[in-house]
Amino acid sequence: MSSVSQLALLFVGAALINNILLTRFIGLCPFFGVSSNMETSIGMSLSVIFVMVMSSTATWVVWEFVLAPLGVGEFLYIPAFILIIASLVQFVEMYLRKASPVLYRAMGIYLPLITTNCAVLATATEAAKPGFFKMNLAITNSAGALSLGEALVYTLGVSVGFGFALVTFAALRERLELAPVSRLMKGAPIAFITAGLLSLAYVGMSGWFGL
Amino acid sequence: MDLMLILKAVGALAVIGVATSAVLAVAAKRFYVEVDPRIEAVLAALPGSNCGACGNPSCFMSAERMVAGDLAPNACVAGGQTVADAVALILGADACEAVAVVSARHCGGGDRAVRAYEYAGVRSCAAAARLAGGPLLCSAGCIGFGDCVRACPFDAMHLNERGLPVVDLEKCTGCGVCVKECPRGQISLLELVPEMAPVVVRCNAHDKVKARKQGCSACCIACKKCERACPSDAIHVIDMLAVVDYDKCTGCGACVEVCPQNCIDLFGRGGDAVALDGVGHGTGDTAAQETDVAGVAGAGA
Repeated sequence: MSSVSQLALLFVGAALINNILLTRFIGLCPFFGVSSNMETSIGMSLSVIFVMVMSSTATWVVWEFVLAPLGVGEFLYIPAFILIIASLVQFVEMYLRKASPVLYRAMGIYLPLITTNCAVLATATEAAKPGFFKMNLAITNSAGALSLGEALVYTLGVSVGFGFALVTFAALRERLELAPVSRLMKGAPIAFITAGLLSLAYVGMSGWFGL
Repeated sequence: MDLMLILKAVGALAVIGVATSAVLAVAAKRFYVEVDPRIEAVLAALPGSNCGACGNPSCFMSAERMVAGDLAPNACVAGGQTVADAVALILGADACEAVAVVSARHCGGGDRAVRAYEYAGVRSCAAAARLAGGPLLCSAGCIGFGDCVRACPFDAMHLNERGLPVVDLEKCTGCGVCVKECPRGQISLLELVPEMAPVVVRCNAHDKVKARKQGCSACCIACKKCERACPSDAIHVIDMLAVVDYDKCTGCGACVEVCPQNCIDLFGRGGDAVALDGVGHGTGDTAAQETDVAGVAGAGA
């Protein structure tokens, strides 16, 4: 059983130090696609948090009770997880559309964007079957796996970090729109450069707490 | 070969696949929501790659906004003209008309505008406009170095012999690049007008008429002759400048006839599909231009 401080470390490590967007460069498509204004980036971040937590739970359960016991997980986990995440998100989208149009307007529209998003898949995979990324390994048990609670804390950390980076970047890009950028660099080029500088700031945190 | 392992893998994936698709099939029926069929149709016409280049997070959202009329049918960057046409077809003719504008120049100065100083710098309107308010006495006039001509992506503009940009209305798509490029586009020296606009006022000055006349011999002098001549109450002198109301204008040309300054031109893509941008098409402006060019040449010699 992990202590509270270990869980906090897991969270901070996932959110900031190993930020999925800016130090691992996963999920860059929404990072550039929906960062042109604050409002959409916030909506996107909320849906990413929601979808990641949900899909991590699902993949953890499937890994624990289906793939691992059958001994087929090692080579089957990617197709199986894609299948599960894609259909789960589709299902939630349909459900939201019917049950809560308000919630659907706020975040349902982003769901098709992240059904098979690489960041979601990476996080859900990592939560169910750690080892691909460097994580705070002290927390994992002898088999190198996370408990469901730890997996959820980890996923929450990753998704909050994703949202934080996305919203920061959107704020920067909104200001860039008004900045006197030369015509050659306006739009995507300056956005790429800004993303690089932002990434440097995040990379600067690597090594904190031995993470 | 471990046959058992293969069977297990196939079995596991098949079970997961069948189970999830069954859940989805049931959910699709259970949670079905009626939507505007046009949204579905537009969504099918869009590329569906959710690239976000139009500023919306997903193609679905764009489709919704296109149907609601918040977003132009040609907003899809990735799809280009093909998709724009397809969407416009679904949404009907209204959507097409909304984008049918062309660029019009509100200045007849050219060589009839008095220079404030001899400009010898870079031949660019943007550069010239930055130097002490531009080389013309008139602060609203066309500088005439053709930034708009160079910017036009459709090769629809050229400078005429009087140094003024003329729009080829057959080619103009109303994209507005020239308006953005023009250093005086903000004060509507170049302006997007309805495609069917029959006349256009060739002056954009808002300073005092006396000062204006010193700076240009082709300006609107706010004499209101056009206002009185107009049978359909479509042209008015507002803030010392003739302004056409395109909702009322019938294109009779009465104002063009009476204007003592020849600063109203026939214009537009209407009528018998004649593309016409006044200057050089046999209107009053041409006559004035010829005499004037001669006058200037004489003075020079």
